[in-house]
Amino acid sequence: MRIVTKRALPRRTFLRGAGVALGLPLLDAMVPALSALADTPAAVAKRLSFIYMPNGVAKNSSGIDYWTPPTEGRNFQMSQILAPLEPFRDRLLVVSGLDQNQAEAGNDGASGDHTRGTSSWLTGVYPKRTEGADVRNGISADQIAAPVLGKDTALPSLELAIDLNFLAGQCENSYSCAYLNTLAWTSPTTPLPTENNPRVVFERLFGDGGTAERRAAHARRNRSMLDSVLDDFNRLQRQLGPGDRAVVDEWVDSVREVERRISGVEKRNNDELPTLERPTGVPERFDEHVKLMYELQWLAFRADLTRVVTFMLGRELNFRTYPEIGVTEGHHGLSHHQDRPEQIAKYAKVGVYQAELLAWFLEKLQSTPEGDGTLLDHSLFLYGAGLSNPNTHAHVDLPLLVIGGRDVGVDGNRHVVIRRQVPMTNLLLTLLDKAGVRADTLGDSTGRMPVSGLADV
Amino acid sequence: MRSILAGFVTSAVVFLGLVTVRPVRVDAARAPGEDARAFMKAYCISCHTEQMKSRGVVPVALDMLDASVVADNAETWELVVRKMRAGLMPPAGMKRPDKAAHDQFLSWIEGELDRAARERPNPGRTEAFHRLNRTEYRNAVRDMLDLDIDVTGWLPPDDASYGFDNIAGVLKISPTLLERYLSAAQKVSRTALGIAPPSPTVDYFRVADDRAQEQELPGQLFGTRGGASIRYNFPMDATYSVRVQLSRDLNEQVPIYVEPQDLEVSIDGERVKVFTLPGAAAPAGPPASEPAAASDSDAPQPAGRGQGRGAGARAGGAGRGGGRQGQEARNRADRDWEVRVPVKAGPHVVQVAFAKESNAVAETARLPFLRPYPAGVNIAEARTGAYLRSVEIAGPFDPTGPGNSPSRQRILICTPANRSSEDACANRILTALARRAYRRPVTAADVRPLLAFYREGRAEGSFDQGIDRALNRLLISPEFLLRVEADPPRTPSGTVYRISDVTLASRLSFFLWNSIPDDELLTLAEQKRLNDPAVLDRQVRRMIADPRFDSFVESFAGQWLFLRNLPASVPVQQNFPDFDDTLRQAFRTETELFFKSVIREDRSALDLLRADYTFLNERLATHYGIGDVKGTRFRRVPLPPGSRRSGLLGQGSILTVTSYPDRTSPVVRGKWIMENLLGTPPPSPPPGVPPLKPPSFATKVLSVRERMIDHRRNPPCASCHAMMDPLGLALENFDAVGKWRALDESGGPIDASGAMPDGTKFDGPDGLRQALLGSDRFVMTLTEKLMTYALGRGVAYYDEPAVRDIVRNASRDDYRVVTLIRGVVQSVPFQMRRTK
Repeated sequence: MRIVTKRALPRRTFLRGAGVALGLPLLDAMVPALSALADTPAAVAKRLSFIYMPNGVAKNSSGIDYWTPPTEGRNFQMSQILAPLEPFRDRLLVVSGLDQNQAEAGNDGASGDHTRGTSSWLTGVYPKRTEGADVRNGISADQIAAPVLGKDTALPSLELAIDLNFLAGQCENSYSCAYLNTLAWTSPTTPLPTENNPRVVFERLFGDGGTAERRAAHARRNRSMLDSVLDDFNRLQRQLGPGDRAVVDEWVDSVREVERRISGVEKRNNDELPTLERPTGVPERFDEHVKLMYELQWLAFRADLTRVVTFMLGRELNFRTYPEIGVTEGHHGLSHHQDRPEQIAKYAKVGVYQAELLAWFLEKLQSTPEGDGTLLDHSLFLYGAGLSNPNTHAHVDLPLLVIGGRDVGVDGNRHVVIRRQVPMTNLLLTLLDKAGVRADTLGDSTGRMPVSGLADV
Repeated sequence: MRSILAGFVTSAVVFLGLVTVRPVRVDAARAPGEDARAFMKAYCISCHTEQMKSRGVVPVALDMLDASVVADNAETWELVVRKMRAGLMPPAGMKRPDKAAHDQFLSWIEGELDRAARERPNPGRTEAFHRLNRTEYRNAVRDMLDLDIDVTGWLPPDDASYGFDNIAGVLKISPTLLERYLSAAQKVSRTALGIAPPSPTVDYFRVADDRAQEQELPGQLFGTRGGASIRYNFPMDATYSVRVQLSRDLNEQVPIYVEPQDLEVSIDGERVKVFTLPGAAAPAGPPASEPAAASDSDAPQPAGRGQGRGAGARAGGAGRGGGRQGQEARNRADRDWEVRVPVKAGPHVVQVAFAKESNAVAETARLPFLRPYPAGVNIAEARTGAYLRSVEIAGPFDPTGPGNSPSRQRILICTPANRSSEDACANRILTALARRAYRRPVTAADVRPLLAFYREGRAEGSFDQGIDRALNRLLISPEFLLRVEADPPRTPSGTVYRISDVTLASRLSFFLWNSIPDDELLTLAEQKRLNDPAVLDRQVRRMIADPRFDSFVESFAGQWLFLRNLPASVPVQQNFPDFDDTLRQAFRTETELFFKSVIREDRSALDLLRADYTFLNERLATHYGIGDVKGTRFRRVPLPPGSRRSGLLGQGSILTVTSYPDRTSPVVRGKWIMENLLGTPPPSPPPGVPPLKPPSFATKVLSVRERMIDHRRNPPCASCHAMMDPLGLALENFDAVGKWRALDESGGPIDASGAMPDGTKFDGPDGLRQALLGSDRFVMTLTEKLMTYALGRGVAYYDEPAVRDIVRNASRDDYRVVTLIRGVVQSVPFQMRRTK
């Protein structure tokens, strides 16, 4: 028995809830109450979101390529996988030719291309080969952005995923699963857990409900509890030897950060939360699940509860099948297409499927007004993967797509091919620039994109 | 410190030199290590040189090792031992020593390593902070508060390392996770005390789409079919609503059936409501009470319906409840299928199932377990009756009070007679809770912060609210969420010390129960009696016999054997039409019952591979082709000698989780055996492996074996696939859902010949079984896995002497698993720790 949601979208994915959440038409009613932006159309919230495809894309190393547009430059010709995104052509900047060198095998004897593909994607750091307490990566681009873009939102960032990570033995030898389970690292030693249950995401965004007064009392109480917990940690700090104190600090830092978030929310928002219908659980079908997760992102953006998101459309090495589109082999197995054209063609279906769902999300953002434009106008996305040709675990010429309008400084409708060796972290730095987040370096970055702004590439 | 160590040394000496450690020939004329040097020169050093290492040909160089002081290079020597014990070195095809020389060399090295370890034990160091994982959190709540609730929705899954999700080093904290603990603590304390939530909650239970509902399911009432059985904790005495929804077909339509479909809702076996989907034969026109009935006689049946297997039970032909209006009415039929019922606080079983009709049996007799698929475009409905899709339980509504739930009985050990006695009672309650939560004796200083929150809650409301607030605070205390192991004060760095009895109690309970110590264990620890080996041993036996040990089976076996991956195994329906969720669950039940029986019945670890019995119900027995097992209940079934189903390698669970959704994978199975049974994970593919050559497009369908030959033609692939593939190929007679087959997908007979990594050839599952039984590595591997899981850290080279000691000791006791577990508990790494 699994706890899951009902089938169709969007309405039926939310509980009718036996007397629990009656009344308001879904979600629309709440937005004015929640969105500070509605009152101040001039204030443009910039958002940054990273969407990750597991196991690379349908291409090989000798010319079959369902991802990369066949032509370069403006008015490029759509590839088969990107075709569903045609309506958003003006916002698309396909960047080919970037590499993630830190995902390549180093000289520590470890394989683990899937692990490094995930863990280095937003960090540009070669992860330390270990399963022990010395897990070490780098801080990820989204987490560089989170404290800046998220300083006034209820949640500095959201980490979302589709696949669960409870499976045994699905991590690569000599790497902790921590590297494979998330893209987001707040510090080189702190991976952030991802969430795949729409209901839990919903509760993180909107809490248990109740009146503003009750929520305020609740926040106060939580803060005083955390204060008291800090006393406990101080006592433990004294009990432990000096060598063990670093681990206490990790906890203390987390406690302080949660306190900070709580007081931020207290200051910010005393609005009544409308009664909302809650998602009920994890849908079985991929498209339903992905749509529900996108819907929650849309909701979070719309209510300005967070401005930074990472979303993994799957975990590397997953063996999910997609019978609804005729793909009955496991995802990872199929990605090792062995250079057989018909297998690559079959694998392309997964890419198209993912792009269709992305188009659904973009459409939703585009049709939602915000300030002087739409939600989409003020959002910047990176959509892509940590592997290109999955059959050889290639980390060069990664599939990367920037989505953003002129309002965020992206000159779209172009396919740019970089022919020099440039790490993808340069692109990440440029994206951070576009979101108004200043970072000098990121992992193995060697600078910004070849020309200062993406719009000028 | 010294006296502690002395105790250990005596007990270890007893095991010295027995059984697998053969007496070493000591030649007085030769320097120590000379034989070993000669052996290595003959068999190792032609490849394992510094020069070859620097060229990346071999990972380890042995030519510069000084064999006379083995202890100085223990890490490298342990690697040598492991590779040789597994038969991986020298590799097949190279010059190899005879068995006597091989064993003598290994015994000597191991003897040296073990001697050094006895002289200077190194227990390693567990982390100072060991956060409870999700399972442990749930169990701790259950055992502390007598409240068994599913916290999996409230806390994220934990990152795993070394194959387990209880590894202290990677159980990190982040603000995101801490927020989740805050919110979980609040829900737990509220539920335990029966305090109303801000708004009623709704829990939604989805029946797996691939669960067949033609037959009575395990845990259901007699005379029913399909449905769901849910153990649910009702937080208060109140009214709750149970709503049920029927399954739809692929077009989201409710199909039509000849007979009315009665869906019964029961609580604790008492029927509270029956909902009926009218059959096709029902009189036309809507019944007065319904807005529209499921029958109308106007329109013809949609095309394409009424064919196929289910046609007998389904309505065929025009004029029998088909048509658009009829369809719409059916789709609405379950819209109001909700029953409101008063329920007392505490756990109850909610059962929802269909009344079984006799004609369904005849229909399914031929292919009793075919997974019936729902109708869709051009697909006829194959289900013979309605299916249940979901159950929602919502509440509490109109609560009448907190009730007398087990959790309230557990927590409220006193009842204040009046306001003035409240503080004393609260103090008693919180002292008792804190002792359990912190797993140690508590002082007034520990209770003080809890009392402060009690007073705050009391001031705002009732005594219960005060306790709720304090319990909430307790549940986010560091010493509840973390197992803290602090070095003794003012102890020099690198000192080896025996952990306290109280710490030992927690190590023991988290190892065997995934939970906190119970009163008996904690009391013994507080009395400092737990370090007495006899006392400790009695506790281990008691804990294994206790129902809480089930969690060990779920967590340890679930991860060691990958049983946890079963829910994610979705065999493709067209290849495996008779695989469904009931079978998936039966797989897991079989292996869990089997694994538990080997431990509880004090059997040998080798029985895990060779037992002459297993646990089956009718569903599983039919899948295995074993007759005479009837009904949904699992029972022990003896297996004839040489049975295909003997031991883990014959069980559907393992055969399925090591397969792809559409076919078997000898590579995955071989890798699983190497990792989990031999403890020698094959190296990952080297970087820059060229892709496999595309096969020439022959007209012939290739067998899996044929397709894999290519793997092994390619030298970089061959080095590992030559080890993995032959192990997996021996299991090719089991298809991707563990069913026996004589022919493979190419239509040819199966060639199940295989080989061990050392080249020993064998045939079929029984040959593989015998080969594994003959390997030194199986019991060693199990012991290493137990050790990893027990310590919550990776097993390092300095733990290997302890592992060998445990195995050696168990070898004199038929390798009983309990003896292995006791050995782990008595071992240096489990009982001791090194200061930082």
